[in-house]
Amino acid sequence: MELLSAISIDFALAFCVAFCWGILFGTPWKALLMTGLLGGFGHGIRFILLQSDFGLIASTLIASVSIGLVGIYAAHKVHNPPVVITMPACITMIPGLYAYRSMLAGIKLSDQAILEKEPNIIPTIAHNAVLTFSLLFTLAVGISISALLFRNKSVKEIRFIKNRLKLKGK
Amino acid sequence: MENKTKSTKQIKANEVAEFILDAGVFLMASGAHSGRVWRNCKRMAEHWGYRMNFNPTFTGIMVSVWDDKDSENAVTRYKTAPQNSVHLETLTQISHLSWKIADGETEYDDARLELEAIKKKAHYPFWLVALAVGISCGCLCTLADGSPVDAALAFCGASVGSVVRYFILKKQFNQFLSIIIASAITTLIAGTDTIFGLGRAPEMTLATSVLYLIPGVPLINSVIDLLEGYFSASIARSLFAASIVSCIAVGMILSIMLLGINNF
Repeated sequence: MELLSAISIDFALAFCVAFCWGILFGTPWKALLMTGLLGGFGHGIRFILLQSDFGLIASTLIASVSIGLVGIYAAHKVHNPPVVITMPACITMIPGLYAYRSMLAGIKLSDQAILEKEPNIIPTIAHNAVLTFSLLFTLAVGISISALLFRNKSVKEIRFIKNRLKLKGK
Repeated sequence: MENKTKSTKQIKANEVAEFILDAGVFLMASGAHSGRVWRNCKRMAEHWGYRMNFNPTFTGIMVSVWDDKDSENAVTRYKTAPQNSVHLETLTQISHLSWKIADGETEYDDARLELEAIKKKAHYPFWLVALAVGISCGCLCTLADGSPVDAALAFCGASVGSVVRYFILKKQFNQFLSIIIASAITTLIAGTDTIFGLGRAPEMTLATSVLYLIPGVPLINSVIDLLEGYFSASIARSLFAASIVSCIAVGMILSIMLLGINNF
């Protein structure tokens, strides 16, 4: 029960983040709700995976790929290109903290006294910088997964969705 | 296909190239990756009966448009992109416009007018963006284990910084300068958390309050372009994103130095 409420809180916060980020990026008004839902969904998956000890990078990769895949269908529903809603949704997982830590350690590197006090400052920079870049790369893979898997076809040309639409028409 | 293009008046290669460049350059500046620009432009050129090829870089697009049956009717042109400002609604509308053209629902002149209308489309009002930015930075701070006090300070810092950046950009200053100033102001506000020890996790306030300046779209687009093989566009985008990130860092350093590095 406690876990369930933690997941729903996580979902709600990530919903707000994705929704507001959609406003910053200028996502159309009608697609904002879907953006928020997608962001909450992705971040929720990441939260669950993190709780079950999956590792930060692996769980971010799985979450962003599922955002990318679900985004294809969701985007079709609201008549938008997938990027328009997957981009703000994936931004909820942007590695700001690690970027900040590597930058702060970089500033401290310039001071002789601090350097002598904290000798493991270079491993800190390297660790956080590597984490930042790998997380960014996983986000980009998640967003471009549709283009990569479906070989640059537009959403309208993907056979799966076409068949579904035909079935619905009948 | 053939009949459709002949029934309308034959459009010159030069006009097609101009339209494609206008739309493509604008798409590029609004945050589309090169693959998307290529797909949209090709769709339009093919409907008007032309073949095309293009070389996208982040700062502009070079495009060749030619007619297979008439070697005289060919043109290669270049256009510089306007200043990068992310607006994803443009992607939706130009994509819709290109489908309309491909399905033969719009003539060249009407498409021209529609493109001009899309270009004039306004962004959300700045106070709404500032509010949204504040809320999202506050939520991110809470997600990263911050207490409500931390989140409130992140909210204030991000909103004020965003408004300041809007007014600097409105005065036509350089955008890198606007980012340095905005991040310095945001860090000054968020840094009070660390100085006075208000919240539970002051580090998170500082780390999350400047996230609204992060060039997420160019960063992610640069990786997508890399994966799809548009190397020059990818390098230019990552360079642009990297210089924005370093501008954020410069602004934060200015404020942290002002507040005293030993406090952090």
